[in-house]
Amino acid sequence: MKVTDLVRASVVVVVAVVLQHGVLDAVVVAGAHPDVTLALAAAGGYVAGPERGAAFGFATGLVADLLVPTTFGLTALVGSVVGYATGVATQGLVRSSWWLAPVALATATGAGLTGYATLGAMLGQPGMLRADLGPALALSTPAAAVLAGPVLRAVAWALPPAAPAYDGGRGR
Amino acid sequence: MARTMTRPGRAPAMAPRQRRRRRPRATLLLLVVASITLVTLDYRGNMRGTIDGARRVAHDAFDPVQGAVRDVLRPVGSFVGGALHYGAVTEQNAKLRTELRRLQNEQLAQADLRRRLAALAALEHLPWASVDSIPTVAATVVAGASSDFAATITLDVGTAQGVASGMPVVSGDGLVGSVVLASSHHCTVRLITDIRSQVGVRYGPAGSEALVAGKGAGRALEVDDVPPGTALARGEPLVTSGLQNALYPGGIPVATVVSSSVTASATQQQVTARPAADLARLQYVDVLLWEPGS
Repeated sequence: MKVTDLVRASVVVVVAVVLQHGVLDAVVVAGAHPDVTLALAAAGGYVAGPERGAAFGFATGLVADLLVPTTFGLTALVGSVVGYATGVATQGLVRSSWWLAPVALATATGAGLTGYATLGAMLGQPGMLRADLGPALALSTPAAAVLAGPVLRAVAWALPPAAPAYDGGRGR
Repeated sequence: MARTMTRPGRAPAMAPRQRRRRRPRATLLLLVVASITLVTLDYRGNMRGTIDGARRVAHDAFDPVQGAVRDVLRPVGSFVGGALHYGAVTEQNAKLRTELRRLQNEQLAQADLRRRLAALAALEHLPWASVDSIPTVAATVVAGASSDFAATITLDVGTAQGVASGMPVVSGDGLVGSVVLASSHHCTVRLITDIRSQVGVRYGPAGSEALVAGKGAGRALEVDDVPPGTALARGEPLVTSGLQNALYPGGIPVATVVSSSVTASATQQQVTARPAADLARLQYVDVLLWEPGS
């Protein structure tokens, strides 16, 4: 990864975190608010493939973990898996349909939140699965679909396509 | 298309395509192992000091920016929130119009000012005697929960004002929660409704002990360790027990009993309670400069 890519990715993560805590946290419905952290990780996989998606999801999750008082490293774990899985699931698809990206990001967010709550329950917080997951899914999944456009655009700017490896001038 | 050549007496070289396919898996494995290591270290408490330190630095860096963005974009958040609550907003609007006809604008403004003044005055003279001697820091709630999986609020006071992790937070009505992370000028408070929160309480004339556990934001609290046959009336107050090494000083109102029932062969009653403080509409709170074990 080039330094410029690293700087761009950092800018996108920081701006997303600031908007999350400055704006989206204030939109509270049934005790939950839309969370774009996992949508950002999924967008990394969708735009840049499994490997860079996993790294981007890990970094996004790690920054989120620094700012919320939950188990440290859990969002990074889920973010890296979400980024990787989205990359694997979508890399072979023909992306001609406008609805593919919103559906991919919403599905990945829903799966990621479920995984997050399940891991939290395994770490001794059953309430994450029983009480918190429902409202979180009801709000964050549609939010991921609605915000898919700007999120993908920002992540595509942060993670431009990698340059093809030099093949010694043989071409093809 | 790349081709591979196998030399006699050597293991076949890995094809580039195969290598490309394995590299993402290796990266994922590395990141998963790193994450699980962090989770384990946090869970076991081995690196709690380092992690809290990193979180403090992150909050010190982000809080001023977030505060500025919050101030500028609050109308946008309010607009989106209003759109999501459209039905309730319409109903509320009708009620307000009726009220507006009944009252003049000036009277409304004065009433609001009186309410705010009363809330602040109540904080200066807390109604419970045992915590009167504890110094406090008045604070304003600047943000709600930062995660769907944690019931928290953010206050505009931090270590610069003497606030530290573990300090109890109260409103004029009762216990709000405790500080879980304090940066220079802000702190995060875990509410008593959070699923990680447990508060030791006393109830009844004999001062029996029980445990109040959070069940998530906006949900009723669960009261554990109440033996079957205990007479618990609706509205019975629950106050902090203040036992040795307790997380809170004694005598702070925590909740009031909402319902109590017992099933056959149960070892304890099923009791639910409502927080004494209105946690959904907190504006001003007090941080008690008291640390567990002090």
